[in-house]
Amino acid sequence: MDSLLLKKRYRPDLWAVFSWAVLGLVLGVLVYTLATLVVQSLPAWREMGAGLLLKNDWFFRHGRFGAAGMVYGTIVVGLLALALALPLALGAAIWMAEYLAPRSRWGVKVLIESLAAVPSVVYGLLGVLILRRWMGEWLAPFGAWSGDTLLTGGVLLAIMILPTLTTLTEDALQNVSQRQRAAARGLGLTRGEVVWSVILRQAMPGVLAASLLGLGRALGETIAVYLVIGRMDNQLPERLFSGTALVQPAQTLTSKLGGSELYIALGDPVHWGAMMALCLILLGITGLCAGASLFLNRLWTTNS
Amino acid sequence: MRGCFAVPEPTVDNKLMRRRRTFIDLATHTIAVVGGLLCLGIVTAVLGWIILRGAPHVDLHFFWEASRESGLAGGIRYQIAGTIILMLTTLAVAVPLSIGLALAATVYLPRGAARSALQGFLQLLNAMPSILFGIVGYLFFFHYLGWGKSWLAGGLVLGWMILPTVTISLIKSMEAIPLKQIHAAAGLGMRRGQIIRSIYLPQSVRGLFTGSFLGLARAAGETAPILFVATVFAGVSLPEGIRDSPVLALPYHIFVLAQDSLQAGAIENLWATAFVLVALVIGLSLTVLPFRLHNSNRRDHA
Repeated sequence: MDSLLLKKRYRPDLWAVFSWAVLGLVLGVLVYTLATLVVQSLPAWREMGAGLLLKNDWFFRHGRFGAAGMVYGTIVVGLLALALALPLALGAAIWMAEYLAPRSRWGVKVLIESLAAVPSVVYGLLGVLILRRWMGEWLAPFGAWSGDTLLTGGVLLAIMILPTLTTLTEDALQNVSQRQRAAARGLGLTRGEVVWSVILRQAMPGVLAASLLGLGRALGETIAVYLVIGRMDNQLPERLFSGTALVQPAQTLTSKLGGSELYIALGDPVHWGAMMALCLILLGITGLCAGASLFLNRLWTTNS
Repeated sequence: MRGCFAVPEPTVDNKLMRRRRTFIDLATHTIAVVGGLLCLGIVTAVLGWIILRGAPHVDLHFFWEASRESGLAGGIRYQIAGTIILMLTTLAVAVPLSIGLALAATVYLPRGAARSALQGFLQLLNAMPSILFGIVGYLFFFHYLGWGKSWLAGGLVLGWMILPTVTISLIKSMEAIPLKQIHAAAGLGMRRGQIIRSIYLPQSVRGLFTGSFLGLARAAGETAPILFVATVFAGVSLPEGIRDSPVLALPYHIFVLAQDSLQAGAIENLWATAFVLVALVIGLSLTVLPFRLHNSNRRDHA
């Protein structure tokens, strides 16, 4: 008996070793990445101060870096995309969740999700070859020089985030319990009234979370925006909501980072630091959206 | 009785009220149908346009020939090869890492705050703009390690990018394993490692497949992460080494050609390449559709 017990020797759990190692590696890379971005952007912050974020003054040949124009471009393009896409997505989601039979709902959902899989460079191509020409013709009376405008970027992004927004919103509506629907109908509410006073009210946090996620995606999108935005520096209108700014070319954080200026910046620590600061600003803005979306989702699921 | 079920007396307002309610009902239905049809219209327009413009130019020669005259003529042989190389590397990076992370999230990390922190972190990582992966990759491989453009760097960056997608899907299917099975295995005297090997891993293969295919569908089409670290437009065929061996890739091919799209000859090739890429990506995400359908149906009944 004793010998049997002795034979059972200790075996280390190799899966545990592997799992902890991976966790350590992932966290390590994350910390390394953030630390590198911060450290490398320091020269630019030291040189420019808060002006790096607040001044609309980016002339890298003169060593002047103020990214306000890009921040403006990024935010306007993102909000424009959300404003254009959300009404459509909400309507489509209500249609799918409340009016369609389950089988046709799945058909529609598959079609819309396959659009979500289309790569951004293909949207960029559609933008370059089709949307840019159309926008150029439509916007010419309003003073657009070409089809490369802030508005073109917004419209293209709206089309891009539409499928994601629709499926996420539909999920949120679908998550409202079937009993609530039955109870509301049993009280004599019409379908329309059920939608407004039960479904939307209950799913509001979910819809909001979906919109924030969509907004975050729009703000961080690079390639499609890069191809149609015109990439002109220092475009910051005097009024915040300016119509003329919409029909002019602009620059976003992502279109700046995706361009070849990154190679030019490599030799100059301040210029490179400014580019890294752009990365940090972008990370901050998109992280804020994603974090808020996550928070809403958690809040909502723990309450119900 | 009358006190319990108080029915309001019919009033003059009733007719007006009924009309108002019918109007709201109709209006809601109209908004929903119009939104849905517009959405479907946009989907069909985008997909239809790509198919109509791209499909006629795609034939075997287009797949098999290398591109000539900077993309104006020839096919996309090495762009396809490069994309396949990148995707296999991506998979080789993402699968082991995601298994480790998913085990940490379902078995090893203490329940509660640590697990939900990891899940939250994964969701945040999933929302990170893809260009940042590219720039951080550039920083690390070029700036720090001194590599040139390399397929391995591209695969590593893309693998990191799809890590959350694969891991989240894996965690979902691991959490769906019935507790009974795990208790039974523990009751049989299996060690934790044995339980993982014979229950956790085989039962979550479905989640691994779903996550990997969805992740690959995203990785195959992304341009921004590989822009600086892995791809060139022309001049290479297949990589021969690791450090300074870039590849061609479908999305980058489209990206560069789209920028000088004024040349008429490029446009046919451009649409055909876009069609191939879209077909690849949609094919990848439709492959795992039955699995996802299954999962969501289960949720609907709950």
